[in-house]
Amino acid sequence: MGLFSDIYNTVAKFFRPQEEQGDASKSVATNRLKLVLMQDRTNLTPKILEQMRGELIDLLSRYVELDKELLELNFEQEGEQVALMLSIPVIRAKDEEEIEAALKAEAENLEEKIEAIEEEIENTEDISEENFSENNSDESSSNVISTPEEMNSSKNNEQEVSFEECHSEQ
Amino acid sequence: MTGRVIVITSGKGGVGKTTTSANIGTALAKAGNKVVLIDTDLGLRNLDLLLGLENRIVYTIVDVIEERCKLKQALVKDKKNPNLSLLAAAQTRDKTAVNAEQLKEICDTLKEENDFVLVDCPAGIEQGFQNAVAGASEAIVVTTPEMSAIRDADRIIGLLEAKEEIKSYKLLLNRVRPSLIKSNEMMSVDDVVEILSCPLVGIIPEDTGIITSTNKGEPIVNDENALAGKAYRNVAQRILGEEVPFLDLDEPKGFMAKIKNAFAKLKAKV
Repeated sequence: MGLFSDIYNTVAKFFRPQEEQGDASKSVATNRLKLVLMQDRTNLTPKILEQMRGELIDLLSRYVELDKELLELNFEQEGEQVALMLSIPVIRAKDEEEIEAALKAEAENLEEKIEAIEEEIENTEDISEENFSENNSDESSSNVISTPEEMNSSKNNEQEVSFEECHSEQ
Repeated sequence: MTGRVIVITSGKGGVGKTTTSANIGTALAKAGNKVVLIDTDLGLRNLDLLLGLENRIVYTIVDVIEERCKLKQALVKDKKNPNLSLLAAAQTRDKTAVNAEQLKEICDTLKEENDFVLVDCPAGIEQGFQNAVAGASEAIVVTTPEMSAIRDADRIIGLLEAKEEIKSYKLLLNRVRPSLIKSNEMMSVDDVVEILSCPLVGIIPEDTGIITSTNKGEPIVNDENALAGKAYRNVAQRILGEEVPFLDLDEPKGFMAKIKNAFAKLKAKV
């Protein structure tokens, strides 16, 4: 059996037109090369590309259900210009209610995060105020100015007052 | 007279920079131009071998720079063509023996009395490359239809673009094998040009004649019948500003190829 199929393959290969033989290796080389050159030219590492891919998935999946495994992110060259090509297999579009619900959930999520950050700022503020009073005698006012921008207004007033005090002392 | 200074470079080694330098230089000289070839591959010189001049070298480029001789004394005249001369690299020194400014000065002096100064660049993108490029205003990037050579050529093109002195650069695609391209096992000329988006100055077919011509120390452009020789002569003409169509590299069809084709047509009909 083996002998017959060997002979058949050899004969069949001989009569096959040249164009059909081994057509994979050239296109494999071209595609691999294009990808690696884009990375060389843009200085984007595979890690950064992966991060970009992840963020794009997060953004887009608010609106459509995606096949995350098949999402492709590539650079393509057209003449002098480099284009970012994104191919997304969409499973289904989400309806309006779903999108709104998702956005709402996200907004709440964000609010929580903001609150957490604000709390954190307040805490650091207390610390910086302590530092401030310690530093009062020094002339290093620049150290202190870096924080007020992030503080809420009532705290800011206090800060200004103490800041003036600092100047008057000088 | 102010001649043109052209650097022949590639990034990757072994793609045919030195062969290209020897052949273009010889072809330009045969066409009646005064040509100087400079080998800047210090420590790994080979241009003298390809020209068959290895026994005539007395002084090298390092001797000129360290003022042990005059520039004119170091130029070795070609055996056949008095229009062609070689400034050889030092074999016992490394790339740090020369700096970019010194090479630029040599190029500037030589272009006063010659139509062409061709600089054969060493492989790599370090000091040797920077030296070779320093005096040039044009570049020929040699590559082959292989991934590693193309990737390195892309790097070189990027570096050349950043150099203000380089006014133009062109691609020379070497060691092309039409039969492999036809069977889709090698990237085609169009593929390479598209990927690198760089204008072509020549397509040189793989030719076993290159080996025998190197053995003899005689550039293949001197062989009227060799296909690679013809391709190199065409490159020289293009450098001189003539419009020469690229060679049709399709190999002459043999008996077997005809049978195969006939079967392919038959199959298409069925």
